Amino acid sequence: MGSHVFETMGTVVSLAIADAPDVDEAVAAVERHFGAFDGRFSLYSAQSELSRVASGQLALTASSDELRSTYASALRWRDDTGGAFTPHRPDGVIDLNGTVKALAMQAAADELLDRGFSDWCLNAGGDVLCAGNQPDGKPWRVGVVDPADRSALLFSIPMDGTRHAVATSGSAERGDHIWTATAIDRSYLQATVVADDIETADVLATAIIAGGPDALASYVQRWSIDVLTVARDGSLSATPGLTAALDRA
Amino acid sequence: MRTRATLSGIFASVAILVVGWQAGSAAVTAANGGPTASTTTSTGTSTGTSTTTAPAPSASAAPTTTAPAAAPATTAKSGTFTGSDVGTRFGNVQVKVVVADGKITDVTPLHLTDNGGRSVQISNYAAPILRSEVLSSQSSQVSTVGGATYTSEAYLTSLQSALDQAGI
Repeated sequence: MGSHVFETMGTVVSLAIADAPDVDEAVAAVERHFGAFDGRFSLYSAQSELSRVASGQLALTASSDELRSTYASALRWRDDTGGAFTPHRPDGVIDLNGTVKALAMQAAADELLDRGFSDWCLNAGGDVLCAGNQPDGKPWRVGVVDPADRSALLFSIPMDGTRHAVATSGSAERGDHIWTATAIDRSYLQATVVADDIETADVLATAIIAGGPDALASYVQRWSIDVLTVARDGSLSATPGLTAALDRA
Repeated sequence: MRTRATLSGIFASVAILVVGWQAGSAAVTAANGGPTASTTTSTGTSTGTSTTTAPAPSASAAPTTTAPAAAPATTAKSGTFTGSDVGTRFGNVQVKVVVADGKITDVTPLHLTDNGGRSVQISNYAAPILRSEVLSSQSSQVSTVGGATYTSEAYLTSLQSALDQAGI
């Protein structure tokens, strides 16, 4: 069992995976996927394709299929979340940061599965995607940090059944990574979404922070997700499915 | 690593939540024109909080140590592992984990950016009942640690590197 760590997208990615003769190649391929997404979509790099679209150097209609399909996917999420999630910054710039990390994680997952690696756990900056089990046969177990105490865990949950992904979003004291067209809902300090896939988990965690309890009530009916929220007063709320998973723990 | 909040606290909130969501569901139809949000990095000087493409916090953030490759997960491991020192615009963050027989027994922040006022403020209004042990038995068994990216930005980076060194 090895742990492979690399930096990309301004954060740290950690991949736990069983040792195998070709594991280094697989890790390198995973790293390339993250690098490719970062290179295409990062707005801090003026040379990225998305930056050139933002600056007007490149017409959206002339952009790559990858960029346009990613943008289209983000627009579908905007529509599906009632606008709580959007790829449009207030200044009009298309910003796909809300989905590209999840897409990179999924690409990495596909790569690993294609290469025959069935048991691994990928953590990209606090969002987690796991497959299979730990070496001892037990499910991977994901702990989530308490927003009020960074040295404590709020809870931990096993990744069993079809649940493979955990994403957490927070607004808290620094809301500068979540923007809003109107007033952001201030109900939740942190939202953790457990889902079958990482894109759904990641997008809905952000949308719940932005949209608050009304959004949450809607999403839990329309998607197969489990959610744990930390409200501004510190109170915790969880979906029944999540408490059932905690009970199995 | 400690876990917090009581299981009974969760149950209690679930009861509240279920009622709340059922009540709310009849009325809710994701109204258009609602709040709109997404993740972003507004500037290159962001601390790289949640965002996928924020600049790396600092060169010192790079964890250079990976776990011993051959160590099976069941191997007992003990010791103190210091995470990488992660720079942010608010200051440096670094944590230390104490591991006994492969289990995390303590996590100590060596440096925290805003260790004082803000943490205290949040703790004060957090209901204490929701902040005591939930799953203490699980605390040492997590495979990996997730969290909101603003939270994770530096702390998790450092913690993660420490855990990777510990091979757990």
